[in-house]
Parts: sequence; structure tokens; C-alpha cells
Amino acid sequence: MAEAVGGADSAPLWTVLVLPLALVLAALAVAAFDAALAGGSLRTAASPVREVARLLVKQPRRTRSDDVLLLRAGVVLLPVAAVLAAVVLPVGFGSVSDLPEGVVWFNAMEALAWAAVWLAGWGPNSTLSLIGGYRFLSQGLAYELPHMMAITTVALAAGSLRIGDIVRDQAGLWYVVWMPVAFVIYLLSALAMAFWGPFDQPVGADIAGGAAAEHSGVDRILFRGGRWLLLVVAAAFSVPFFLGGGHGPWLPGWAWTIVKTAVVLVFLVGVRRQVPTIRMERYLEVAWVVLLPLSILQALVVAVVVLNR
Amino acid sequence: MELRDALLRIAAARPGVLLAVCPGATRARLAVEDELRRRGWPLVLGPAQADLLVVVGESGSSGPEDWAEALWNAMPVPRARVVVRHAAEAAAVLDRGSAALLAPEARIPAPANGPAGGEHDHSGHDHGGHAGHDMSVDAHEGHDEHAGHEGHTDGDAHGDAPDPDSGHDMSHGEHAGHDAHAGRAVAVDGGHEGHDMHGGHDMGGHGHHMHHGGDVNGFPMASQAEDRDGLKLDRLHVPLGPALADWPTGLLLRLTLQGDVVREAAVEPLAPAHHAAAAPYPYWSEPWLRAAAGERVERGEAARRLCAAHLDSLGRFFAVAGWDDLVVRARRARRQALAGAEAGELLTAVRPLIRRAERSRTLRRLMAGIGPLGADQARAAGVTGPALAAGGDAYDRMRCWLDEVGLAAAGCGDTGTLDPEEGDGPRGTVAGAIPASAALLGVLPHMLQGAEFACARVIVASLDPDLDELAYTQSNLAGMNHG
Repeated sequence: MAEAVGGADSAPLWTVLVLPLALVLAALAVAAFDAALAGGSLRTAASPVREVARLLVKQPRRTRSDDVLLLRAGVVLLPVAAVLAAVVLPVGFGSVSDLPEGVVWFNAMEALAWAAVWLAGWGPNSTLSLIGGYRFLSQGLAYELPHMMAITTVALAAGSLRIGDIVRDQAGLWYVVWMPVAFVIYLLSALAMAFWGPFDQPVGADIAGGAAAEHSGVDRILFRGGRWLLLVVAAAFSVPFFLGGGHGPWLPGWAWTIVKTAVVLVFLVGVRRQVPTIRMERYLEVAWVVLLPLSILQALVVAVVVLNR
Repeated sequence: MELRDALLRIAAARPGVLLAVCPGATRARLAVEDELRRRGWPLVLGPAQADLLVVVGESGSSGPEDWAEALWNAMPVPRARVVVRHAAEAAAVLDRGSAALLAPEARIPAPANGPAGGEHDHSGHDHGGHAGHDMSVDAHEGHDEHAGHEGHTDGDAHGDAPDPDSGHDMSHGEHAGHDAHAGRAVAVDGGHEGHDMHGGHDMGGHGHHMHHGGDVNGFPMASQAEDRDGLKLDRLHVPLGPALADWPTGLLLRLTLQGDVVREAAVEPLAPAHHAAAAPYPYWSEPWLRAAAGERVERGEAARRLCAAHLDSLGRFFAVAGWDDLVVRARRARRQALAGAEAGELLTAVRPLIRRAERSRTLRRLMAGIGPLGADQARAAGVTGPALAAGGDAYDRMRCWLDEVGLAAAGCGDTGTLDPEEGDGPRGTVAGAIPASAALLGVLPHMLQGAEFACARVIVASLDPDLDELAYTQSNLAGMNHG
């Protein structure tokens, strides 16, 4: 039964335990980098750890007539969705489980974040919190379709939904070279799915923290941590999709994956400082009228190339 | 416990600070903000994330109307509260606050007989000063009561929570809260019904709650009305309170929201503290008011104050727009302006800010068309200053501020005498019949109608009324009446 769920690249069982730990470490590192950028000095890089310590001693909080079950479900779902999505992420050339429909799995797990953020915003029975939750839904409407077209384009080029196949197909030429539009759209949707940077309206300062406004203590750690995890995972997926996975000279596959992911993350974290928060009322138009047709055109170009080779 | 104390010490070293600024306390607020930035203490967006509540200035309200009290009740333990009345004592008071977080008093949750005496007083929930929590006044009351009940029903489960520290704290908080209730008739719906309602359930549980003819846990269900598309949607009455982050000090805006669209807005300035004897000049308009009173004021000083005032407004505007980098720059430049930097130094600080904001096409596309206030409309409403000069939308007003910042920064060294007839204060003419900010507040409700929430915040930030001016006028009138 070697052809069962794992396929040829099924990894040993200890990787299942290492995966969440590795992701958390990566998320902490990126958060430290962001804090250092914000503070302008290296001393502020310790603030994520400090924040976690501070939040651990805070009393968890309830508001009036809140829906605790759904609130907690939402808060827990966010990091869980990120870790689940990372199950098919190849570090180097091997992932925890190289599912035959890995691309669809990634998309489905990332869609769990929609439910997570909305539940976290709806649970506390607070106006601004609810507005934050709904903002994330409208953001989802904006980014999801171009995003799905972009990853469909990738699967189209490789002729397979298995991420291992997609990486193998980039041994010669990275996809970013001949589908740059899809890459840009993917990066934008990575920002949007983690509601980071210009797309942080769901947790924006103008609604006092939005979906995360009423969280305290462990809830807050889980929600914010989940957001960082989602950002790391989304950025990490750009590597097997567009940047050749573990392919590269001299270094082993896993090192290349880490280097490329780090580059993408530095860019994504830096972009936040360059642009104000984009409001969805203005962005929806751009997403549907500009990005979606562009992504379809890109898919057309790729399809023609694939047919001709 | 060792670990918990260590974590508490870390928390006390850099507590999350929630600023509650009272009208008339601008100088103290600026000092506190500078001190916080110097220490690296984060300013949080709401009471849920706050460790230290810093009340700046003196509140004119007390008892059930005390919005600072409502904020305090909504903060989770460990927490501490300090008051800063003068700019000079900011550092000492913040040290005291940090030390107070380590004291055992920091871990006592508030008793449940909080302000507004329970849900039957709906005005109590309207005074939830912070950020439109419909329940912030009763949040702690409800929360404590629930916490107490949780302690009851799943006491052991909580005590054995896998997380040793937070579990320990939770049970400590809950049991303390519970003990505080022991034997008390709990205000919320009477103890029993509160207990029944505790199962959770949402404000949307129409089918479940047959009590009180439409009340859920003491709050009335939202009434319905037609929205802009003719659909019948719920109407929520949300007070955007004085302690909202990046919000004009002392402004309480009562919104009627449908979804996140503002249907009606009513301005309610907070009552200033009653010190009829010494009514200080409002900080931002001080040079012009002193010149109008006959003192000799240097033009450079007025330019510096104008520059800082606009940078302060721009800081709030960029914060609402979500551009943290420019917020930091604006606040840094403001600090330099108020600390007496030379014109050259100030220009090097503000030029990059101006250039980036002007060149950003994203910002232009985001802010274009929001809150249009034509020049004629503005003049008819008595608006003066940048809002009139810009005569357009929020983007134009921002550009106007940026231009004036550049000019004012260049004119910092001017030692000529300020002529009270020439030049406006930061919000408009200071010598007019009504304060400039009053005119801005007058046009605000109309501009907010039909705006989505984010746009509403941008509109308020682009007008940025200074309620100190209103406080000054009121105290002056009161002083005149008394004297």
C-alpha cells in the first residue's frame, strides 16, 4: 500500500510532531523581525516573547451575552488551520504528507481561516468586533477567486495537484519566470489571507483591534499566533508553487526552502510599512475587475504553453 | 508561584497602556505619550489588551457617568490605574503604575456592583466610554458573574487546566469574583435568570429567550428600520467613546449603525472638569489667544505650535488610515517641534513625511471622495481654517495640513510679533464668535450620514476637532457667570 495517502514521499511520524513546533519557531522569528523593524532597533526584537509572557498572566475575559463556544472555536481554529495547511508543505523535497490533491488541501485549510476570524469576531457580542469579522469576509470575497486562479495555473503547468509533482516540474525553470502575474496575485492573496499589512482591516486600529478587540490572555495568544502562523505558511507555500521548491545549487533542498521562504517573508513583512491599510470597498473593485481577468489571462497563456510542449 | 511572578515582572516592565484623556489635558497627554515612547511601552487599542490604565487630566464626570471607570471595569486582571494631572509628573506616575502592577491589589477583580447599577439602567450601557461596547459598563459585572458561575459549574475542570499559570490565575480571579458575590443578589436579571442565560447563547437567539418580551440578558433587542436599500435591518446605537484610540480627545459620538453604515450621528462633547478659577488656554490655540489678549507672542512660537498641532492631527489621520510608519514619523516630528528644534532640523524631520504622503497613490485613491465639504458649504456652516481652505474631501484636507506643516516648520525661527488679526489657529480662527472646533463639530453629523464605519473614522480624523477649545469656552462662560 505504498500508493496510499502518503504516496512515495510519506515522511516518518516524528515530523508530525515537529511540524507545529517548527512553524511556531518560524512565526516567532518573523514576529521578532517585524518588531525590530517597527522599533528601529534590535532590542525590540524580543517583544513578541515579552508579549506572550505578558498575555499568559492575563485573565481570560468574557463579555456580556457572548458566545463562548464559538469564540473559543474560532480562536483555536486559526492556528489549527495554519498547521493543517502546512501538512502538505514540502521542506526541501519531502513534506509530512504529500497528498495527491495537495493544492486543494492547502486551499481548503486556508479557507478555514475565514470561519475562524468571523467566529472570533462574532463571539464576543461586541459591535466593533463583529465589524472586524465581517470585514474579513468581504476581504475573502476579494482575494479568493484570483488566488484560486493563481494556484490552479500552477497545477495546470505541472499537470498535477500533488505539490511534490509541482516542485519536480520546476527542476528546469521556475514558474515565477513564465507566470509572474500569478506570482504577484499569489503574494497579494497571501497577505490577504493572513490579514496582514495592507489587508489588516479585519483587525484594524480604526475598530480598536476589530476581530481581536475583545480577546485577552490565552485567546489573544492563540489568535495572534494563528495569524503569524498563517502568514508564515502562506509565504512558505509560494516557494514550492513559484520559486522552485528546494531546487538550487550547493545547498541541500531544505536549506533552499528556508532561504527562499525567508526572502518572501522579509518582503511581505516589509510591505506593511510602505502602504496604508487598503479598504475593501475600494479593493473589491480592483480585485474583481483587474486581478481576476488578469489571472484568467495568465491561466490561458500557461494553458497554451502546456499544450504546445 | 515562581513562574507566575517572573511573568508578572515581565508584564510590569512593559505594560500595555490604555490612555484615557480628559478634555483640557493636552499638555499632560503629550508628556505621557513622549514618556511612553521613550520607555517603549505599547499603547493598546482597548481595555482587553491593557495592563495599565492611565487617566490623563481630570474627568468632569463621576459616578455612573464616569467613562474611565467603565474602562477600568472592562480590563482583565492583573491591572493598575494611575492618574496624571500635570505634564511634569508623567514619569513618576508611570513608575508608580508599573510598581502597582506587581502588587497583589493588581489581581483583585472589581466588585460586581459596578457603575450604572445593572442592566435596567440602559443609560449606563450608553456611557460605556470605550469604543462602542454595548456592554462595557456591565462587561465586568457580567463577566465576573459568569466567571463566578464557571467556577461553580466546571470548577475543577478549570483548576486543572493544562496551562498551569493561566489556569491558576483564572481560578484565582474566578473564585475571588465568586466570593465577592456570595450571598449578594446579583443585579443582572436576578441571580437565577442570569445563571440560566449563562449557557451562552447569543444575542441572536430569538427563539431561546422568551424573557422580558424581547430582552436578552437585560439588553433590549435591536429595533429594525429600513436601510439605504430598503431592507429592514437592525439598528444599533453605538457610542464611540472618548477613549477610542486615535480619536479626538473628549469627543463622544453617538452613532446609529445599520451593519457598519452610519445612519445617524450625534455629537456629545464631554463635560470638562469644573475649575472655574483657572481656565487654561487650550494648548493648541494658546499663542493666538495670548496674542488676542494683548501679550507679545513671537511668530516663530506660533508657527511651531501650529506645526505640532497639525502633526498631531496627521498622526491620528495616518493611524486611522493604517500607515504605522508615517504615524511614527509624525509623532517624532511633533516631539521635535515641541522640544524647540531649529527650523532646519524640523524641516529635515518633516520633509520625508510630506514627500511620502504626497507621493503615495494608494493613499490618494483610498482617501479621495471621502467626506466632501465644499468651500461654500463650509463657509455657510462657519467653518474656518484648513477645512475651509482645502474645500474638498479628506485627502485635500490632509494635503492642506501637510502644506501648512511645511510652511510652519520653515517659519519656526521667526522672531517677529504675531499679529492676532492675521493667521488662524490650527483649527481655524480663534477670535471668532464660536470656537473653530464647534463649527467642525456642527458639520460632522451631516458628513457622517451614510458613511461606512471606516470612512466615518477617516472623516472624523480629517476634521480632527479640538474639544479643548469648547472646554475653554465653557469654563470661561462659567467663570464669568460665577465671577
